[in-house]
Amino acid sequence: MNVKIDGKYYSGNKGETLLELARRNEIEIPSLCYKEGFEGLGRCRLCLVEVIEGNSTKTVSSCVYPIRDGIEVLTNTKNIVNMRKDIIFLLLLRTPNNGYIRKLAEEYGVKAPSRYLDMEREEDCILCGLCVKACEKLGTNAISLVNRGITKKVSTPYDDASKDCIGCGACAEVCPTNAISLVEQDGKRIIWNKTFDLISCTRCGKCYSTEEVLHHIDEQLGVKTQEYLCESCSRRLVGEKFKEAFQNLI
Amino acid sequence: MDVLANSRVMDMAIDIKGDYNDSMDIIERYPREKRYTLAILQDIQRKYDFIPREVMVLMSDYLGMPISDIYSMATFYKALSLKPKGKYIIKLCNGTACHIRGSESIREELETILNISPGETTEDGLFSIEVVNCIGACALAPVMLINEKYYGGLTEEKVKAIIDGIKEGHR
Repeated sequence: MNVKIDGKYYSGNKGETLLELARRNEIEIPSLCYKEGFEGLGRCRLCLVEVIEGNSTKTVSSCVYPIRDGIEVLTNTKNIVNMRKDIIFLLLLRTPNNGYIRKLAEEYGVKAPSRYLDMEREEDCILCGLCVKACEKLGTNAISLVNRGITKKVSTPYDDASKDCIGCGACAEVCPTNAISLVEQDGKRIIWNKTFDLISCTRCGKCYSTEEVLHHIDEQLGVKTQEYLCESCSRRLVGEKFKEAFQNLI
Repeated sequence: MDVLANSRVMDMAIDIKGDYNDSMDIIERYPREKRYTLAILQDIQRKYDFIPREVMVLMSDYLGMPISDIYSMATFYKALSLKPKGKYIIKLCNGTACHIRGSESIREELETILNISPGETTEDGLFSIEVVNCIGACALAPVMLINEKYYGGLTEEKVKAIIDGIKEGHR
């Protein structure tokens, strides 16, 4: 499939989205709620682009738009930039003190008049729902978007320490605005009002995961982990094994 | 996977405190499919006047979907409530026509008679007040809806009579 993006032709695979194709070819399209490996959510709308097909032009969210043969895409027209500015403006009003959003606003030259800005506002969440997706894919569906309108937020049912949460921290990891509080101290991890004991690596002693996560992984894989290893130690172990096998070959 | 599913059910069984066992009869009227969630929630709301936490656990188990999803839905729709609602839900219209024709004084009267604010329920569990935007009966303004019945052309005296009438029927 051939797609023309900003005047150049690129070849894409069937089923690929516009954003995926663009990212693969290092064409910059801004986004907040997109994370490689997850399907697009189409929530933050920052990845808007113009698609020209035949005689018609439309504005689409590139993260959820599957490419079609022969379409032409414009990622940086005046129209698109203005729409992105509007979106960033609204996000800035919601999260006036968030570093990521402020940086984005600066990049796009978006300034909010002080009569709209409430600098006392302590909000970091832009409600993109990427954390909910991460919890669904990697965790245990412990969080969801609750309420609606101005009271909408991401939370566990009844804001309680969720029985389902395994403290994997995938939600905090993917959050584009660093809005989810994950505190680690004295061998404990606190997230979503729940406290977890951290497991330390049997080799280097570094705290790296919760017991619940390791159980979850065992259950998913149907195996029993023999040795608790942190990421770097388990990589080293694989490396050592590989080296050994290689030397035996020679 | 089966082991996991069973352990979840065991975990949740401890959670069931109130007597909501008959809620299973409502839930089981529907096939075990995610798309019936809202229909079940509506039936549960009708029966208990709110969505009890325990029933969400039962539903999650029956439909095989996470509690967080059901909670998300239950908090999204205005027709569903997490707190017990009164037996009589008064929906007072504050649409443009009703507003102009004095729905604010009707609200004040209701608040005085029942001693609750909109969104609250009386202690005896009989009445809840909700202020809604338009119930599509502007010709009757100011109007309120109690359960399925419309009361139009309201005055403060009329409101008192209506509420007294309902209370009388419950003695």
